Amino acid sequence: MALFDQRPAYAHEPTVAPIEHRFSPYSDNGGTILAIAGADFAVIAGDTRQSEGYSIQTRYARKVWQLTDNATLATNGFAADGKNFVKRVKQRLEWYEHAHHKPMGLKAIARMIQTMLYGRRFFPYYVYNILGGIEEDGTGAVYSFDPVGSYEREACRAAGAAQSLVQPFLDNQIYFKNQTPAPGAEAFVPGRLPMATVLGLVVDSFTSATERHIEVGDGLEMYVVMKEGRQTTDLTDEGQLPAGMKVEELGSMGEGRGEKTFLVSMPLKRD
Amino acid sequence: MNAVLQSLQPPARHTNEDEEDAWGYGNLDQRGGVRGMMVPRVPDPAAFLNLHTDSISSNPAAKIKLAHGTTTLAFRFKGGIIVAVDSRATAGSYIASGTVKKVIEINPYLLGTMAGGAADCQYWETYLGMQCRLHELRNKERISVAAASKILSNIVYQYKGMGLSMGTMICGWDKTGPALFYVDSDGSRLKGDLFSVGSGSTFAYGVLDQGYSYDLSDEEAQELGRRSIIAAGHRDAFSGNTCNLFHVRENGWEFIANYDVNELWYEYEAKKKAGASQAQAQKDEGMAVE
Amino acid sequence: MFLTRSEYDRGVNTFSPEGRLFQVEYAMEAIKLGSTTVGITTPHGVILAVEKRVPSPLIESSSIEKIMEIDAHVGCAMSGLTADARTMVDHARVTSQMHAFTYDEKIGVESCTQAVCDLALRFGESVEDDDALMSRPFGVALLIAGIDEKGPQLYHTDPSGTFTRYDAKAIGSGSDAAQQSLQDAYHRQMTLEEAAGLALKVLKQVMEEKLDENNVQLARVTPEKGFQILAEAELKERIEAIAA
Repeated sequence: MALFDQRPAYAHEPTVAPIEHRFSPYSDNGGTILAIAGADFAVIAGDTRQSEGYSIQTRYARKVWQLTDNATLATNGFAADGKNFVKRVKQRLEWYEHAHHKPMGLKAIARMIQTMLYGRRFFPYYVYNILGGIEEDGTGAVYSFDPVGSYEREACRAAGAAQSLVQPFLDNQIYFKNQTPAPGAEAFVPGRLPMATVLGLVVDSFTSATERHIEVGDGLEMYVVMKEGRQTTDLTDEGQLPAGMKVEELGSMGEGRGEKTFLVSMPLKRD
Repeated sequence: MNAVLQSLQPPARHTNEDEEDAWGYGNLDQRGGVRGMMVPRVPDPAAFLNLHTDSISSNPAAKIKLAHGTTTLAFRFKGGIIVAVDSRATAGSYIASGTVKKVIEINPYLLGTMAGGAADCQYWETYLGMQCRLHELRNKERISVAAASKILSNIVYQYKGMGLSMGTMICGWDKTGPALFYVDSDGSRLKGDLFSVGSGSTFAYGVLDQGYSYDLSDEEAQELGRRSIIAAGHRDAFSGNTCNLFHVRENGWEFIANYDVNELWYEYEAKKKAGASQAQAQKDEGMAVE
Repeated sequence: MFLTRSEYDRGVNTFSPEGRLFQVEYAMEAIKLGSTTVGITTPHGVILAVEKRVPSPLIESSSIEKIMEIDAHVGCAMSGLTADARTMVDHARVTSQMHAFTYDEKIGVESCTQAVCDLALRFGESVEDDDALMSRPFGVALLIAGIDEKGPQLYHTDPSGTFTRYDAKAIGSGSDAAQQSLQDAYHRQMTLEEAAGLALKVLKQVMEEKLDENNVQLARVTPEKGFQILAEAELKERIEAIAA
């Protein structure tokens, strides 16, 4: 009976208030991302602030990642999950290229991201993904995902802390929601705006979100993916970009069909 | 007692992801089966998931909000099957999307509808599409709707209690004619003539039941499906935006159209008013003659 | 020669001192016993043709299946132990579908061929929960025909797991003569009609029996209609056409 003299540890009733020890592997790092598709280009943007609660961890943390010559991915939510997820996506892209001797197309990346997110259905990545780029038929495209992999192709999408501030603005400006064409004017067709207009809308979205949301600000990175044949001057020419922008052409990542990706960045308010 | 049971339970199944990634088809095994669904190493994975995700608005405090909220319906009639759905996805009270495709085109002759977790429906119905194609290649014959729906129901039953959320209708035409099955994540699988699933289903049933008959013409049936979704979109806050209408016939499904719920509601109202004033005019006229 | 061989041809995973794996080589010999199979690539599609041996009039010839669909855009023809081919074809089908599921695109013809060849080397003395599926090499060779973004393609796979792309290829018992005829008659700008005619002529030439719609099978892969096995009526027409 000596064996049972002591009751096993787990059988002791708690004598004081129980201490909560639960597995809590998630954090919300704020920030906002956004992508808009044009006829032959796509803009994928994100701010660079990373915060936890009310403290800013860093004023420059990347949220937008160039994946291939024709695809760029923006992640938002829990930064650690986002970084890890992007790393795995890049790994799969490389393996695919080795196995099939071609870079993965945008549509294929979108589906693969779904399967990767769904593989964690019971232990989700706390990440909202927006994928933008050029489709195999040469059109600009945006795909948006929920954390466990439901996805849809859209003309534009905002996600993250200021989603509810930015998305209604985009609905109005990109989808022309609640706008009526002037009598006799052409009907609105979403997804056909010129690049300069789109970049202007992105900048306005982020400057406005910075004004009204504490988790948005510090810097803005806009990745512009252009179909082959479009010129660098489309971006750098006078009047194409609002003042104060830094433009950098990102080198080709492989044997694409000549799509170009540019990083356009600017500061946002830091308070 | 629960604490005792829990401490005796084996650690949760966990797979090594690095091994899986070297294989080019992520979540699938060599035979096309499912594998590598990562589960957190906690005593109760379902409770973990429930704590951090909000898939049926039961846990609004959760960080990870999954898209849900819906009205979907499908019914069988002599001309085939009508499938009608709304297009709204909500996360809490925020409308996450107004352009969701809630009819999943499994293959050219099978449709599935989406209610509950958007990803659960999208992923498993796409997976079902793959299994149906393999059946076709191996047996040189299209799969029956009964068999297809059973594949899906067996899959989700394996995950019962893990937190999947799915209420779907599998619609198609096979050797037995038009066939309709309701499958959900609890493991239910029901054969029937008429179903509606989602937060707006009660409103849809109201319209559907008063107008349904097996002998409806194609036009009448399409109108009934459309009208039911409009009614639900009008009364259920979690449903709305647009209505997608499909018709399944012997040679496969056809997408009929996409309708704006709001615009169509006003059209119906105008028709109702026009009808009422016409009736009144007729009544007045009748009196005058008398 | 055979004396030295007998020392090293027992184990499937034992190299001979000359660096040969005899069981694999014997497996390749098994193919030379198989029925003749021909594949021809043209700019407009690929043709596959097989001789079906019907040793008894009591055999239902339509139950002999030597050309199989892998996916809508890929098909294959076989020679050798056809039972082994079914395992390989099923693996190719599953892989093609998994590719479509994971990447929302059709699998490439070469990737599909590679998947089949990956399976070819999964033989040996397996340890428990090892990946080995077979105790011996496959005794079958395949001609895999398909169309993808790189255009119409034809691949040949053998029991060693090697695959090679061909413009035109013959395998099976009559392969030596057939390959020579293909080499003489093939040109790169052939139409699909010409290729189908050539395939049948080559088979006719090497077959012992008289060519008819019951002892051959013909299939094509085209960009418009994908993989199709010709129905008996069309096959009969084509056979009559080459006889004329």
